[in-house]
Amino acid sequence: MQPRRILITGVGSFLGTELARRLESDPEIEYIAGLDDRPPQARLERTDFIEADIRSPLIGKLIPQARVDMVVHNKIVRRPGPGMSERSAHDINVIGSLQLLAACEKAESLRAIVVRGSAGVYGAEPSAPQFYTEEMARLYPLRSRFQRDVAEIENYFDTFSRRHPRIVCTMLRYQPSVGPSLDSQITRYLALPVVPTYMGFDPRLQFIHELDAIEALVATIKNPVRGPVNVAAPGTIGLTKLVRMAAKPTAPLLPPFFGLAVDTAQRAGIDGLSPDFRRLLRYGRAVDISRLVEEVGYRPRLDTVEAVKDYVRAERGKQLLPTIRDLVAR
Amino acid sequence: MSTRVEQNRFSRGPRAGGPAGTPPREPGGHRETRAGQRAYPGAFPIGPTISFLRRLRASLDAGSELPQSLAEAAGALPRDLRDALDRMVHRLAGDYAEDEWGFDEEFADSLLPFFEFLYDRWWRVQAIGTRNVPSHGRTLIVANHAGVVPWDATMMSVAMLREHPLPRYARFLVLDWAFTLPWVSVAMRKLGGVVASPYNTLRLLEQDELVAVFPEGAKGAGKGFGQRYRLQRFGRGGFVEIALRTGSPIVPVAVVGSEEIYPKVADASLVARAIGAPYFPITPTFPALGPLGVIPLPSKWRIEFCEPIPTAQFGPEAAEDRSFVFELSERIRETIQSKVYDNLVARGSAFI
Repeated sequence: MQPRRILITGVGSFLGTELARRLESDPEIEYIAGLDDRPPQARLERTDFIEADIRSPLIGKLIPQARVDMVVHNKIVRRPGPGMSERSAHDINVIGSLQLLAACEKAESLRAIVVRGSAGVYGAEPSAPQFYTEEMARLYPLRSRFQRDVAEIENYFDTFSRRHPRIVCTMLRYQPSVGPSLDSQITRYLALPVVPTYMGFDPRLQFIHELDAIEALVATIKNPVRGPVNVAAPGTIGLTKLVRMAAKPTAPLLPPFFGLAVDTAQRAGIDGLSPDFRRLLRYGRAVDISRLVEEVGYRPRLDTVEAVKDYVRAERGKQLLPTIRDLVAR
Repeated sequence: MSTRVEQNRFSRGPRAGGPAGTPPREPGGHRETRAGQRAYPGAFPIGPTISFLRRLRASLDAGSELPQSLAEAAGALPRDLRDALDRMVHRLAGDYAEDEWGFDEEFADSLLPFFEFLYDRWWRVQAIGTRNVPSHGRTLIVANHAGVVPWDATMMSVAMLREHPLPRYARFLVLDWAFTLPWVSVAMRKLGGVVASPYNTLRLLEQDELVAVFPEGAKGAGKGFGQRYRLQRFGRGGFVEIALRTGSPIVPVAVVGSEEIYPKVADASLVARAIGAPYFPITPTFPALGPLGVIPLPSKWRIEFCEPIPTAQFGPEAAEDRSFVFELSERIRETIQSKVYDNLVARGSAFI
């Protein structure tokens, strides 16, 4: 199915803006609308920017008016940024999704919904299978607020797609993205002056490069499949390897003190770490991407280590002191 | 695969020439030291250290910066020390490879001398029939489990690396509790351990790996000394199901000697429950002697790899047949049990 008229929520985020820009260059797509409460990060040529809060019932009028055949839901807050409370992140995620679905029910022309969700729904468990496949979302209890939010959102879209079988609903479960232009949880973590880690733990992590994240979204827009699809780069990387590649000093903390130290730092104004991210730093998580490769037809171009390498190379330009990595290179 | 070929460096001495002329290893026979260890047997390299410092000083006096001087002075060090330093610096810069399971071959290699010491000197392991393990392709090794701490998995791995004509690293399925522990979890995954879960086993076998499984699980490892060499129930036969589904041959393995390393005379189940462990062993030396009690007793070991049981001819549908799965599982259990008794007799005395 080739969509002709697309609406993107959360167009004010980096990925939202880049996605709109990428779709603009596609002549098959006649019309692009971008919905957000903040303007796009770059000037867009032919995207119709609709300034509205996704939580307001107003979008129930705006979306049917746009007569789109596909909605790309990209307004899911992975971690509240500066000046945003956990509460409002939760509202955007859950209430925003509900309002969007209410609006979608009224949109007659709609054929497909693609949600940029999160692999955070799997959580991070020590005894978990080392590669989650799509049907393993509920193997373990939901532990953090974000995980509960994502599970709730998935439920809403699941119910919606069962009630409207003519609309194809794709739930993309994204692993964290890395990349030089991205401001994500992991890049903020690596930007800390000293990186806290759990002493004695070296979890396997999995990311996706920002460009692959956009291309995977584009591929899904061209070929939406029903149900959940994991999105990640092939391969994994150990946390120790990651921080060593980023040439960051670490502060290994015993588990009971980890939370205490991070909370104290947070109160002192240093960037904190969300509860689900803390669990990720302890137990890690990786997903199986065969559904993305085989059914959607997209294979990420960079694997996890290459994605990190690309991020580190860009970051290194900003550093003042030579790192151990530079000394090795000499 | 290039790694497979590279691993051949573990087969040494007369065997390095090729798989054909592999003589049976004589226990306690003369063995060569590795080239890297021959340079300074046990002694601190004083000479090279002095010339290293001298060169460093000369280079600094000549006005070079510290990193450059260090690099120059490193020329004074013997080759293997320089290589070791180089590798360490590269690892510190995050320049090492881990596969998607987190297996770190370089890390495993670096621990090998220690494991080889245990294999050769401490437990004087005799491995029989390693050639029954296919050199390529998916294979499931099924072994009896004993000895509180899974040293048997490590020794089986070493046996595969040392005695097999085409050495290959085995992946082993580890009780999930181990992955909640600091350090232990990291060591396990870097050495090729994965959480014992059917999903992981399936994926590993589909990737044509060599997978070792202990169907007795914690019941086997944590049984008392009085129960030694009596195989426990083989779970629910899940391993047979997965072997059938992937068409992997099953190699039964009998390990003798692992039972005596920590003779477990009692179980402090309250402590075990408090720390979430499957069992908390009390042995004659642990916890009475504290950390010293962790040293395993030097029993004598025999590991026999039996004839592989092919499963491909049954087809993946056979995995649905419960009674067939149980039957095959029971047959494997009996094979291992009888081989354990055979090897027990062949071994003779437990310690000398």
